[in-house]
Amino acid sequence: MASRSASKDIITLKGSAAIVSEFFGYAANSILYNRGVYPEESFAKVKKYGLPMLLTQDEAVKTFLTNLTSQLSEWLEGGKLQRIVLVIMSKATSEVLERWNFSIITDGEVVEKGVVKEKSDKEIMREIQAIMRQVNSCISFLPCLDEPCIFDVLAYTDSDTTVPFTWMESDAKLIDNPQMVKLHSFDTKIHKVDTLVSYKVDDLDEQ
Amino acid sequence: MILRTPPQRKRRAGSDADLDADLDLDLAAAVAVATGRTPVSDRRLVPYGRPTALVSASGPEEPSGDMVCTYHCRQMVKSEFVVALDTAEKAVQEYRVMLDTLEKQLSKSEDERNTYHDKLNYVEQDLAATKGRESALQERLLKELGEYQERYRQQVKKIGELEVKLNKEIDSRISAESSSASAKETVKELERAMQRSSENLEREKKALQKELSYMQDDSKLSISKLNAELERMSLRAQNSEKEAKMLNEQLEDMKKQLNECLREKNETELRLLDSTPFSVQRNPTDDQKLIKLLQEELRNYEKEVHEARRLKSSYTNFELLSEKLLEEQSRRKRAETELSKLQEIEAKAQKLELELASCTSLLGNMPDVSSYSNIADLQRQALTDLNKLGEVTSRLKELEVTLEFAEISKQRAEGEATFAKERAESASREVKRLELLLTAVSEERDRLRKDHNMLSNQKTRDGDDMSSKKMESELSQMEKVVRELDNTLHEQRELISQQHAELNLMNEKLSIEARKAKSLEREGDQLRSQVALLESKLGHGDYSASSTKVLRMVNTLAMDSEAKETIEALQAELKKTKERLQAIEELKGQADAGTVVDANVAEKLAQLKNQVATLEKREERYKAVFLERISVFRKACCSLFGYQIVMNDEQQPNGIHVTRFTLQSVYAQTDDEKLEFLYESGSTNIVVNGYTSQHEIAQQVDVFIRKMKSIPAFTANLTMESFNKRSIC
Repeated sequence: MASRSASKDIITLKGSAAIVSEFFGYAANSILYNRGVYPEESFAKVKKYGLPMLLTQDEAVKTFLTNLTSQLSEWLEGGKLQRIVLVIMSKATSEVLERWNFSIITDGEVVEKGVVKEKSDKEIMREIQAIMRQVNSCISFLPCLDEPCIFDVLAYTDSDTTVPFTWMESDAKLIDNPQMVKLHSFDTKIHKVDTLVSYKVDDLDEQ
Repeated sequence: MILRTPPQRKRRAGSDADLDADLDLDLAAAVAVATGRTPVSDRRLVPYGRPTALVSASGPEEPSGDMVCTYHCRQMVKSEFVVALDTAEKAVQEYRVMLDTLEKQLSKSEDERNTYHDKLNYVEQDLAATKGRESALQERLLKELGEYQERYRQQVKKIGELEVKLNKEIDSRISAESSSASAKETVKELERAMQRSSENLEREKKALQKELSYMQDDSKLSISKLNAELERMSLRAQNSEKEAKMLNEQLEDMKKQLNECLREKNETELRLLDSTPFSVQRNPTDDQKLIKLLQEELRNYEKEVHEARRLKSSYTNFELLSEKLLEEQSRRKRAETELSKLQEIEAKAQKLELELASCTSLLGNMPDVSSYSNIADLQRQALTDLNKLGEVTSRLKELEVTLEFAEISKQRAEGEATFAKERAESASREVKRLELLLTAVSEERDRLRKDHNMLSNQKTRDGDDMSSKKMESELSQMEKVVRELDNTLHEQRELISQQHAELNLMNEKLSIEARKAKSLEREGDQLRSQVALLESKLGHGDYSASSTKVLRMVNTLAMDSEAKETIEALQAELKKTKERLQAIEELKGQADAGTVVDANVAEKLAQLKNQVATLEKREERYKAVFLERISVFRKACCSLFGYQIVMNDEQQPNGIHVTRFTLQSVYAQTDDEKLEFLYESGSTNIVVNGYTSQHEIAQQVDVFIRKMKSIPAFTANLTMESFNKRSIC
């Protein structure tokens, strides 16, 4: 996981990047499970952040997420990543139904000078746990996904970032007039991650 | 040995003779060589086989040199003939062998011919098939050509439509460009308006700042005034305290004096009792009343002193309030400075909003234009301003917190002010009471004075002037003290009135500050709403294209599934196209095959023609050879068997093909001496004709053919008989 020094409270850029990318991996898995993008049987339970988390066993999704998280940690280490967005779309119409927005604010001083920050592992884990709990509880207010859905991950990077071979430029896949719910955020003192879910307002709800 | 002269041979006419002409000539030549002359009816030897026409043509005019055979000659001829016959037989055998070989060759050639014929037929069939295919292909090609032409026409139509659309698009583009130009103009106008508005705002800001500075100056002045007044008040309080102390001391002195007075009074009472019992009976009660009144007055004075002390404590409270006021003023100043910053930020935010609105309207007006460099700059500015806004919001929060604190302190101050008001009111009430008391005291004093005058009159009358003088002097002192107290009361009243005025001022300021706080709250709400709006925009996923790039993984799962679907669709299409291609290839192959067949056929035809030509040549050669050989064979047969055989194919009325063989002996004396045989499916039957119906011949036919069933014996016998006849003749 995070590369920590002897003292538990010290956190490096690399460690912070690893925490954030790992968090995103687990968050994505949790969202995919909770929103029913993939069948329930394809998930296995593991314990993480003091919570029972569900991880996909689908090899294709697994490899996709591992590739994704490795690339994200690379960008996070370079301080190039501004935002990660997990987009849930309709399989039939490709209409964007939900956007799980993870805004990342990187401490520029750490990236430029390699300064080490202090924050306890426990505290970070507690913050992440709170977000995960909120992600799990989001089913209560998010509209039902009745149709088969697919997901996609967008990375908002700095404009000077070189596009990797397996990545390509894309549109923002926005939702018109979305409903937004801000979730908790966590801070490693190097990366601050704000979570927000925006979703297409259900017509029935509107009525 | 039967010697027979051969019958005179007549020359035969007809085509049958031509074939065996050479053979006959050879035989005749051989006979001629052997004999030199042939025996004829006119005793001249005629060469055998020579055409009669020639002989007859040349006979009467030029009698040939052949001599008529004699007996001796005949013998010689016979031996020579035998020799010649042997040689002829050998030759016949050779010819037969040759004939066999030729026949074999002929059969081979016929087989070859048949095969070549078959091949030719096959090739012709192929040619016909290819022609058929070619025609089918041509038809297909024609159809395809027609379809292609139709498609071409459709495409031309489409191109025309597209051109029309293009023209429309060009027009729309021109209109869009014009609209963009107008939009640019509007943007410029808006920018100008913005500049104007910003200038106005700056002016307003400056005016507000000026007002603020004026207000600050006013507040400073008022604070300094308040401070001065407070100092004055404190000094007065101190003075009043001192006076109170003095008054206390005086009171104590007065008490002492009163006690002394009481003592003196008692003494005087006692004296009076002694001197004037009537007056004493009346006076002590009055004096006691007076004393009581004076004691009450003293108590009242003590109470006043207490009140004065209370007032002093209220002054100290005022001081505390003033300090708090100062603190609040400093907070207010801070809030004002923050307010000015807020105004600036608001102005900027409004500017940005206007710019954003103009940009969005521009973007709305220009459907094809997605981004402008200005827009990008604006977005960048918006982002930076958003960051600033974030900072401002944090400041705002701080301000809110300070405002809350200020409100709380204000409420406290208000409470304290109300408390102070109440106190002031109570103090005024007490002052009034004191005034009333004073009036009462002054009335009592007057009364006392009157009583004292009365007493002094009595004393003068009685001779106790000393004590009365003392009393008067004390009373005068008391009056002085009362006057001083009046003065202090008056001053305190003034002070209270001043404090009331100050309190009113403070209340006014407080109300102003409350108004300001409310306006600040309103502004804060506006800013919060703006921040929420901007946050919502940010949360919505908007980004600046100049600073941010949105990336997504190429081989996403969705893409995979899509790709799978598309691959499946493409595979299906591929299959279809493959099938089509195969069909086309087949067609092409056929066409090619046709052409190849054509080419091959042409080549083959050429080859076959060559072959046919060679074969024809060969056939001609074979024919020629065959004719040569058959003529040789016939001649040989004729010379060997003594019969010229003519073969004719006939068709019977029942449709059966029959071969008719007509045999004429070389020794036949007339042309009618012919034997006819019909060969039909392996059986040979003699045909009865004029010659065979002759008695002699008919007997032989009966004997040899019908009885003995041997045609060769019949022919041989007939040959011998005719030879004998001839040779005998």
